[in-house]
Amino acid sequence: MSDKNNKIPFNEDNYTHNINRNNERKLDRRGFMKTLVGAAGVFAVSSLPWGVLAAKELTGLGDKKYPKQKITDVSALPIGDAVDFSFPGEHDSAILIRLSENKYVAYQNACTHLRCPVFWKKDEGEMICPCHHGKFDVNSGEPTAGPPRRPLPEIHVKVENGAVYAVGVKRYEA
Amino acid sequence: MKRSYLPVALLLAVLMLNIIFTQYMVHQYFYENYTNTIIAAVINVILFPVALLIYKKGVNVHD
Repeated sequence: MSDKNNKIPFNEDNYTHNINRNNERKLDRRGFMKTLVGAAGVFAVSSLPWGVLAAKELTGLGDKKYPKQKITDVSALPIGDAVDFSFPGEHDSAILIRLSENKYVAYQNACTHLRCPVFWKKDEGEMICPCHHGKFDVNSGEPTAGPPRRPLPEIHVKVENGAVYAVGVKRYEA
Repeated sequence: MKRSYLPVALLLAVLMLNIIFTQYMVHQYFYENYTNTIIAAVINVILFPVALLIYKKGVNVHD
């Protein structure tokens, strides 16, 4: 053992005698901290797209634009009454309900169950789908009874110069 | 040459905050609270230089 080290070159037939791999894969404190910093970096990078998407939603870039469309004159629609129209396409039937002097709500009135038309029941104060007696809350479009489970898509309305206009559709949540 | 494990603990805390804010961010996105989403994303991004700072301090002083 001792005499080997004095000979140059070593009298050995393997050439890996000076390679010490014993600690090569040891995770020391410094390496562990490096891993943690790297993980923090991954978290930081991966949260960027979420921020971008949220900013896009906030600025309204993702909303579809439809030309505003006149629904009816204010004078033609007494409080508590409803009128049918279509928006945004000619086959997307919708309903406008005047709840009070200045409160109008509009929904696409295809029932979210099987697309029957939903009607406004003035005396009961709720929207009813006659096919399977689905009921919807008139203030939010949320289903309150019957088979439908999803809310009616809301249409944004605006009152201008004595007429009610449809200006946009709230994004449909499946 | 006593090692300090305080930076390690701090980094672990940073990583825990990362996890918390990431989940908060995703949830707030799907609840459509987009302002909260952006706040959580910004915090997540800021936590990375904080982690880097903790690492540099911790490595140079005691190792």
